[in-house]
Formats: sequence, structure tokens, C-alpha cells
Amino acid sequence: MTHYEKLKTCLQEALGDRIKEFRDSLGEVTLVVEPADYLGVALELRDNPKLRMDTMIDLCGVDYQGYGEGTWQGRRFAVVMQLLSVAHNWRVRVRSFCADDDFPVLPSVCEIWPGANWFEREAFDLFGIVFEGHVDLRRILTDYGFVGHPFRKDFPISGYVEMRYDPEQRRVIYQPVTIEPRDNVPRVIREEGYGAGH
Amino acid sequence: MGIEGILSQGFVTTQVDKVFNWTRTGSIWPMSFGLACCAIEMMHAGASRYDLDRFGVVFRPSPRHADLIIIAGTLTNKMAPALRRVYDQMAEPRWVISMGSCANGGGYYHYSYSVVRGCDRILPVDVYVPGCPPTAEALIYGILQLQTKIRRTNTIAR
Repeated sequence: MTHYEKLKTCLQEALGDRIKEFRDSLGEVTLVVEPADYLGVALELRDNPKLRMDTMIDLCGVDYQGYGEGTWQGRRFAVVMQLLSVAHNWRVRVRSFCADDDFPVLPSVCEIWPGANWFEREAFDLFGIVFEGHVDLRRILTDYGFVGHPFRKDFPISGYVEMRYDPEQRRVIYQPVTIEPRDNVPRVIREEGYGAGH
Repeated sequence: MGIEGILSQGFVTTQVDKVFNWTRTGSIWPMSFGLACCAIEMMHAGASRYDLDRFGVVFRPSPRHADLIIIAGTLTNKMAPALRRVYDQMAEPRWVISMGSCANGGGYYHYSYSVVRGCDRILPVDVYVPGCPPTAEALIYGILQLQTKIRRTNTIAR
């Protein structure tokens, strides 16, 4: 049994039914779990001596709106964690879809991996995913008066407001965006069979 | 200014404006205000190869010491109030150089939701240096252009 197969067996044994989808491609494992099981799975992954996912490499949000040219029927927001076990030298990716598209919520994993703190703030800032139990869920990247979540697919690229100095109020103020929205549709048309001659 | 008098009489005559402008052009102290990759080019201009010290340009860590602020890089919405505050703390007379495409008009990030589309929306700019990023020579040329601009101003005779 190879090292990688051992990881897959250990995951199946430890988590069983809690894995909704077990994806194995390119030599990497992705687990899809329900939001209700998310925290329990995370704890199991860290504390089970056969898995020992002791390090969180990354946590990020994903917006699936319009994914696959509109063929996507699933829920809109997901959170993806990249985990590493230094003890066993293997990695696992965990994905969980938020139950409510209008108010995406997931439990925070800060208690399990303290490094998740700023990653969760980032996902909250850019996607508006709320992490329940997070000690300090503030915005982390956008400016202090920012409204909206810029990485959502329905957020316009130029935003809603821009900044300028107002000589009367003697401070920097927000005003509505004054530039035209940018047309980003590529105009390149390829002839039939382009690039097939290789 | 003529120096002929020094040899015979021991003094020279000149205009006050010219003395003012001579002192101002000879010691433009910029505020260190690097925002992005342009700041690296600004550091090159300040380092030994190009050596801005030759022109009396010495970077200062405080806006109270500074005559000039070089906006070197992308000005984001989050930074804009801080930039204006630094500018407001500078003593008159003060000048502004906008360095690079991002500071001139947003540049690559013109359509972004988080970037100011030109730092002239936040403060009055004297010299725009184009480029992405401008070379150290280009920045020095911009500073020399600013010197010419300062020489044209009259403080006493209007």
C-alpha cells in the first residue's frame, strides 16, 4: 500500500459517512462535507492520531455563481481549507458549502487552528461569509468605510464609490463612481480548428 | 547673480527672489512615501549609482522636514486619507511629484474598486512622471523639471 493509498484509507475509516463527496484526482484528495459536520470533521482531522492534520495552510472562500457557464445547480458559497500533516507528510483539501446563499454562515475553525483567524477575516471581507464563533471578525483588506464584498461575482469591478479630496470639508470623501463600466468581453474570434494543427 | 564683485569689493548684489529660489532648488527634501514597485525605483534614484544627494535631495522620515512628497506607487482608497494627512502636515512651500502610471491616473488598476484613479484627486500635483515604473533617470528628470518650475516662481516681486 502506497503512502497516498494509506491516507485515503485512513480518511475513509475516520470520517465514514461524514464525507459527502470523496474526490481523488491528480494525486490530491478533496473532501466535501456538510456545514453541520464541518467543525466535527476539522477536529477529527487534527486529533485523530492516524491523520494528524496539524497545520492549516490556507482557508479561502469561493463564489460558485455562474460556475460552469450556468450549469451549476449547487449552493453558491463554499469555504475551502488546505490542510497539511507534518507528522505524516500528506495533505487534504476540505470543502464545505454554506447552507444559505443569502446569508452564508459556517463555524469558525480558529479554536482548532489559530492560524485560521486572518484567513477567515479575509473570506468574510471578500465574500461576506460569516464565521460563527470567530473572536474578531472585522474586515482585513478593504478600506475602513467599505460597503459590499468585492470578490462576489455580482460585485461590479469598479465598485460603487470612489474617493476624492473635498476642499470644503477638508477631508477625503466618498462619491459615486464617475467612470463608465468596463466592457471586458474578449473580441478575438478564432477561425474553425484554431490550434488543432499540432 | 554675478560673482565679479567678490574679487574686488568682497560682496555681490542679487535679487531676493533669486536667492530664495536658489536655496529652494538646491535642497528639495522629499518625504519618504513609497507605496509600491515605483518605490524601488525611487530607492535606486536615491542610492549611490544615481545619487540624488548630488542635487541636494535627501529623503526625510517626517513630513515636517519635507518640501516635496513623491507619490511612488498605487494609491489605494485605504491609503488616501493617510496620504492627505501627511501632505497637510508638510510646511509651505511644498511640492508634489506623482510618480508612475498608477499615481498619475490609476494605471493598470484604473477600473479597480479599491484604487484612487490618480493621486491628483487627493492633492495638487506639480510634476507627473510617466512610466510603469519610471526609471531612476526619469524620476531625476522629474525632479530637475520641478527645480525649473520652482525657479520660475516669484515670492517677493509679483
